[in-house]
Amino acid sequence: MPRRKLDPLPSVAFQILLALADNSLHGYAIMRQVEDQTEGRKRLGPATLYGSIQTLLEAGLIEDVDAPDTDDSGSERRRYYGITGAGRKIARDEAEGLARVLRVARVKKILRGEYV
Amino acid sequence: MSDRLLSGLLALYPAQFRREFGAECVRLLRDRFRDERGVMARTRLCADVLNDLIFGLPRLYAPARRALVSPATPQVCGSIFRLAEEERPSLAALMCAVALSVAGFGCTMGWFANARHAREVGFMRQAKMQPEINKFHRPSLRLASFSAVQQPASAPAPSVAPHVRDATAAMVDAINTHSVVMFGETHANKQEYAWLCSLVRDPAFHARVDDIVVEFGNSLYQKSVDRWIAGEDVPIEQVQKAWRNVVGAVGPVSPVYAEFYHAVRQANRMSGSHKVRLLLGDPYADWEKTKDAEDLGPFVAHRDEWYAQVVEDEVLPKSHRALLIMGAGHFRRANGPGLIEQKLRALGADPYLVVFGTNVVGAYDDVDPRFDSWKTPAIVGLAGNWVGDLPATPVLTGGMGPASALKMAAAADAMLYVGPRDSLTAVNVPASELENSDYGKEINRRLMIQMGRTMTFTLPAETPQFQRPAPQQAATGSVQHLPQPQAPKSMHDPLPPRPPLQ
Repeated sequence: MPRRKLDPLPSVAFQILLALADNSLHGYAIMRQVEDQTEGRKRLGPATLYGSIQTLLEAGLIEDVDAPDTDDSGSERRRYYGITGAGRKIARDEAEGLARVLRVARVKKILRGEYV
Repeated sequence: MSDRLLSGLLALYPAQFRREFGAECVRLLRDRFRDERGVMARTRLCADVLNDLIFGLPRLYAPARRALVSPATPQVCGSIFRLAEEERPSLAALMCAVALSVAGFGCTMGWFANARHAREVGFMRQAKMQPEINKFHRPSLRLASFSAVQQPASAPAPSVAPHVRDATAAMVDAINTHSVVMFGETHANKQEYAWLCSLVRDPAFHARVDDIVVEFGNSLYQKSVDRWIAGEDVPIEQVQKAWRNVVGAVGPVSPVYAEFYHAVRQANRMSGSHKVRLLLGDPYADWEKTKDAEDLGPFVAHRDEWYAQVVEDEVLPKSHRALLIMGAGHFRRANGPGLIEQKLRALGADPYLVVFGTNVVGAYDDVDPRFDSWKTPAIVGLAGNWVGDLPATPVLTGGMGPASALKMAAAADAMLYVGPRDSLTAVNVPASELENSDYGKEINRRLMIQMGRTMTFTLPAETPQFQRPAPQQAATGSVQHLPQPQAPKSMHDPLPPRPPLQ
């Protein structure tokens, strides 16, 4: 049952999709956004970040997009990445899966407080 | 800090990954170093880098990963991530990573030692310091060179889609990660040279490249071109000798080359202090003194050697970044690198090779529809995707040459695609500008010396780049076909001493 091993989406890939959900970002901004989303628990190094970006690009879950007008990187042009429709769907599926897990955790009284 | 450290770290990554994301990785680390100050923040940064080397790097080397990549379905997509993230690295990979990490840790300590200096210098001054910085790049370039030549390309996976990138952005990244970028062109192509002209005018590219070495420039006229490219007033009749008097051109020289010279000059005028130098890579034959084929022999025979010599003399010792432009036949790899690339690699350079390609994958009518969705001009890397698995000769020649065992991935690192084969046009000097003109008479004098024949000027300003081969073409073509003259004996002679530059 290989599919079972593949589910859920790995956390780094999921975090990158979440980071791109409302904005196109360059690599460094993605790293910072993921750091914020995880309250500083995940700071992605180059191999992890760009390895995941490469995989997401090849899977068609994110894509290269033009730099926004606000880009001030000057002569050192940055690559910007945006989420695709397929990426948004996978991120939504993953979030819904996590929400189901949290509902169960709450029923079982494993999860304390009003986190969700 | 040390561009030396960044380059050293970058050399640890797989070559394909480095080509695609090397510049981005360097920028990420620079940004973090800039923003994370103080002992605690820097210590955490070092720990992050080490952590990434130990756990992130082995995954990039996972051999099966690329082959299983497919964008098709969520199920397959999942398999990508399992391989990329969840599969445990092998013991060998972990041991390798630990060894690399020790080296990385040593570099990191050096980073701390250099931190004060780095702050003083500032990353924003990199452009001004490029010659000095590039000196530090050299050892890592040798490492990268080794990996690029020795590592076999990953197994072709025909179903894997290439990453189609904007051509200019891809070239900016290439020149950021490779001090020498070679571009194998198709002669006289309008669409290709329109893009090349826009490339040299692109501020990001112009700021990074120091020299552009061209086949379509007689090095005898380097002095005049240097002055003119830098913005001085030089009579155009003197400057145009550079592109009109090349040994490699038989017949009228396409106007696209003059346009390229003008584009470089214009880009220099628009820029700040940084000026791009146009280096002329064709041998220094003096057509004005050439009387017969024996006068030309040594120059014709040593065109590639001289081109490499120009790069060796004018680019590498200065640790410059250079774009090399020459016909794709000179640059493309067959059984390994060509003569020029071999010489450059022997000198420690790590060239990145881009070649002009088309959507023809077999005989003349074998057009591949997969190219139709590409936004042009585009550049794609050739390793591990279906473009790299295409037969090289039809792609490179628009279907004019038969397929052989040579695949695109073995012929180059990347391919420029400017549009479907049947949309491509060659730019010619119109017949009206050649008939009864001094230039037309000189063309026929040169043709008689080189080929033993003259030509009738019939071409319009534009023609299809790759015309369907037709048996009757030989009878109706504009060239009067006569028996080929024997090769001059002087082709076995070395190049004569270089005369004073004009």
